[in-house]
Amino acid sequence: MTMTRPIRVIVIFAHPDEGEKYAGGTSALFAEMGHKVKFLALTNGDAGHFGMKGKELSDRRAREAQEAAARLGVEEYDILDYHDGELLASLEVRNEVIRQIRRWEADIVIAFHPEGCAHADNSYAGKAVSDAAAFVALVPNVVPDVPCLKNPPLFLLMPDYSMKEAYKADIVVDIGATIEKKLLGCDAHASQYYEYQPWSKGLPVETPERWEDRRRQVEQDIAKFLLSSPEMKPAMEKWYGKSQAERIQYAEPFEIAKYGGATDDETIAALFPMFGIENREVIA
Amino acid sequence: MNETLRVLVIGAHPDEPDIYAGGTAALYAKMGHKVKFLSLTNGEGGNYHLAGEELVRRRTEEAKKAAKALGFEEYEVLDCPDGQLLPTLQMRNEVIRQIRNWRADIVISFPEGCSHADNRYAGKIVSDASAFVALVPNVVPETPCLERAPLFLLMPDYSTRGEYRPDIVVDTGEVIEEKLLACDAHASQFYEYAPWANGILSDVPSDWAGKREFLLREWSPFFHISDEMRAPLSDRYGEERAEGIAYAEPFEIAPYNTRAIDRDIRALFPMFPDEG
Repeated sequence: MTMTRPIRVIVIFAHPDEGEKYAGGTSALFAEMGHKVKFLALTNGDAGHFGMKGKELSDRRAREAQEAAARLGVEEYDILDYHDGELLASLEVRNEVIRQIRRWEADIVIAFHPEGCAHADNSYAGKAVSDAAAFVALVPNVVPDVPCLKNPPLFLLMPDYSMKEAYKADIVVDIGATIEKKLLGCDAHASQYYEYQPWSKGLPVETPERWEDRRRQVEQDIAKFLLSSPEMKPAMEKWYGKSQAERIQYAEPFEIAKYGGATDDETIAALFPMFGIENREVIA
Repeated sequence: MNETLRVLVIGAHPDEPDIYAGGTAALYAKMGHKVKFLSLTNGEGGNYHLAGEELVRRRTEEAKKAAKALGFEEYEVLDCPDGQLLPTLQMRNEVIRQIRNWRADIVISFPEGCSHADNRYAGKIVSDASAFVALVPNVVPETPCLERAPLFLLMPDYSTRGEYRPDIVVDTGEVIEEKLLACDAHASQFYEYAPWANGILSDVPSDWAGKREFLLREWSPFFHISDEMRAPLSDRYGEERAEGIAYAEPFEIAPYNTRAIDRDIRALFPMFPDEG
């Protein structure tokens, strides 16, 4: 099975900057290979600062998001207008998620875990996607204003900061080729990386002028979401082969959601052309 | 951490902080630390012959009396109807306010797997609130946020005692009388509603010695130690002392904690003996 048209990926999360942090390298890889990626933040991020708030902050974060999209090659970056810290898995949010997945004609949906995230917004973002999953394809009577999909997409979960110890690494993507883009995508969110985060850690709030200094700071901040780690090894060996897996330094892991459609190896190989599966015989 | 510790125990009904964490609370109070109990519902579901405002008034008075027995003053009962607690934004924001206003170092609440909906949602509300209490000034902006996230602990209720992890177990032998008196204060529950529901209303004794024995027998798992607590008790108290421990309360470290826990667990639990 090979895809005859570009693969369409939508990454759905709670706050502008999370798609970059948890799936930015994979997104940039898809984009570099000519596939289509969309980011969707379910809240406008207006709680993410110590000095700015309200519309001033959400406008700033929207501009940062657009810049990040440009750097990653993400085609669309939508931000819903729910307040940061007030996301619930309401029918309204679920139906909007159904619309977004359908309109993007997604082949792959990447979202948060529906349970277990330490941050309520992240958990409810995951929950809204898991609630939406059954309705995106072949249920024309639900959300009838947007035509439903013919095939259910593959649903994947990206572990957030609180899920790193508790997720299952089913699919791991080598992001060595796009690590620079991922760091630049995060760097676009100056309000977070150089202001809110250092403030919350009691560190000085200043934006380093030189890229190499900013790069170092972002790299330290998101090290856990850049570097490959031991739990990823079996999946890396499965998808890249043993010898190549050993050389993977930077990686992003994903868990196959229990609520999705077909999750056989052949489907996954077709949807992740960066694995170069057709050149090897790892998939029986 | 040298200063006074501030502990907030959040249950769904008045009497739950007492039976699940009353001994630990009494120990903190005895050592000069500050404790507050909070019930998210008014408890108006908990009786067979009383109801409505009359029951709420009685249970609120019982709660005050229980707090005194445990050595502190603060026992707040919110006016959400018993049996109607849901994890709404309004309730979450009230819990954020409560944790911030109490400037809590430790928050103890239910796990999210409880079988009673009120208990389960109480746990969910605290879990939902947890990410916002510290260092997020833009959420619930009228109440200044904390500078540091508290340690969140879970107290397993009757339905979750089979599946919890005893991360921290506190020897409550020294304050068992205080805990018994706190339960005694909730007479509408321990001597009326629960015995009625269990069909043992006629077994309730009238004198204190009898009542004391009745409480220890009928609520035994929440007073006495059980097997899974032995290893953690040995870890904290040493094998020798642990062997003599008869009464204990277990807690699980909540999975949604963001605070680095290992470093300051000793500072937050001054009742554990010094190492070595």
